[in-house]
Amino acid sequence: MRLIIFLAGMVFLSGAMAQVLREEISVETMPEHGPNWFIAKSGSGARIFDAESGEMLGLLSLSSRTPAVAPYLPRGEFYAAESYYSRAVHGDRTDIVAIYDYANLSPVAEIEIPNHMARLGVRNHLGLLGNGRHLAVLNMNPGYSVSIVDVVDREFIYEMSTPGCAIILPVAENDFLLVCGDGTLQLSQLDISGFEENRIRSEVFFNVRDDAVFDRTARTGDGWLLITHAGVIHEVSTDDDEIHISEGWSIVAEDESGWRPGGFEFLDVLRASNLLYVAMHEGPVDTHHQAGDEIWVIDLASRRRVHRLKLDDPADHLTLTQETAPKLIVGTQSGSTEIFDALTFRHERTIDGPGVSMYEDF
Amino acid sequence: MNANRIMERGWYWVDEQARRGTLALARRLSRRNFLSRLGLMLTGAAALPLLPVARAFAQETSLREIGDPQTCEYWRYCALSGQLCSCCGGSHRSCPPGAEASPITWVGTCRNPLDDREYLISYNDCCGKSACGRCGCHNTEGDKPVYFNSNSSTVLWCFGVEHTSYHCTVALVLGESSQ
Repeated sequence: MRLIIFLAGMVFLSGAMAQVLREEISVETMPEHGPNWFIAKSGSGARIFDAESGEMLGLLSLSSRTPAVAPYLPRGEFYAAESYYSRAVHGDRTDIVAIYDYANLSPVAEIEIPNHMARLGVRNHLGLLGNGRHLAVLNMNPGYSVSIVDVVDREFIYEMSTPGCAIILPVAENDFLLVCGDGTLQLSQLDISGFEENRIRSEVFFNVRDDAVFDRTARTGDGWLLITHAGVIHEVSTDDDEIHISEGWSIVAEDESGWRPGGFEFLDVLRASNLLYVAMHEGPVDTHHQAGDEIWVIDLASRRRVHRLKLDDPADHLTLTQETAPKLIVGTQSGSTEIFDALTFRHERTIDGPGVSMYEDF
Repeated sequence: MNANRIMERGWYWVDEQARRGTLALARRLSRRNFLSRLGLMLTGAAALPLLPVARAFAQETSLREIGDPQTCEYWRYCALSGQLCSCCGGSHRSCPPGAEASPITWVGTCRNPLDDREYLISYNDCCGKSACGRCGCHNTEGDKPVYFNSNSSTVLWCFGVEHTSYHCTVALVLGESSQ
């Protein structure tokens, strides 16, 4: 009897298995680029998310020492400066610019650069210039210099010394500004081959001892926005070999003294509307890395604050998607990523992931 | 002519004294002893031009201090950003075993609560190993942006060492800030 039951069971199981199709493993490729996508960079790589669905779309595996990643959709590529040791933390050091393709987020080329790369998570330690050809990588050894790489021809051009100046701010087609410790800006203009053709220094416009300009910046419609530790704004732009720096003005009203900007990558500009979003906190001098309890939204044209977004979890980082229905992406002190409608400030979703060091609109 | 003769005799006397001295030394000392003493002297000479930062590694402090060097609140850490070597097998003045001490640093100014004086503090990174991962500390008193790197706590200061990966940070007193 038991034998009959066993055989009947086997027949039933084999019949059931025959009805299930055998599955094969497959590998996704990136879908067509969509609105409100962003990059969340952490120590282990750069994750691409869709802010509208909250879904992760893929990962760029980067060196833990990579300062930032620069996407360039017209060529379907990403550029990252990376630094490796042959034995993880010792052995021969090799610094490279790695090029990743869009479809598979895989490395497709690499260019060796001098082993002087500044290995800090600062967005403006890497800048793809306006022509989409020359990539500038900040070096620190410990003096400053910049490596210029031609990402189209996949070749290192040269290393230019930039003593006392760091923070790469691309302007025009083939130029970039640097912020200098003596309170000036330096404009470097490259020739068509990527060599420095012209170098101009601005007037002194801030004092690093009294009220330093942050090493975190925001791109505006025609240049860059700089903010000091006390909250004074300067907008900078260029016209050929002229550097324009606006008069400074404070986003902190007299009756609100004690409020300061702060965090890490803590500010961005919604360029279509000329609105500044900046993380703010109340604290004394030298609290410039303290996370923001609020995000202030400032209309740069009228110099008026138009909103204060109060946060339960303070903000270390933020960025904006430059879309018609833009999203405000906030990296919190506890490590989560919060998505807000950037115009209504309605909280839309929370995205969990490894601790983010910066976001990039993509 | 006489002058030349006097000069020749003078040189002869110098040569003779050198010969006798060398023979006397050779009788008293072995060659290995001489080389070891010469090597000791050269090693000592190599240490003469070291920077104040490097000298500070070897000195005992005479300061009266308060606080626990394994906590971020310790007074010397007022401008320290990194991981405390005192939690990683070293101390607030020494690197953990096998790490390399970076001779190039950033400098902060901290007030010692016991004597109410300001001291220059050299924050030296210890390098050549993985990040310690313990006792993270991020204080920003007097901290400046990375484009002013001598006073920037954000910068990793593993320079002038064979392996430039970051392990942890120590805090050495260089002297009073008014000196």
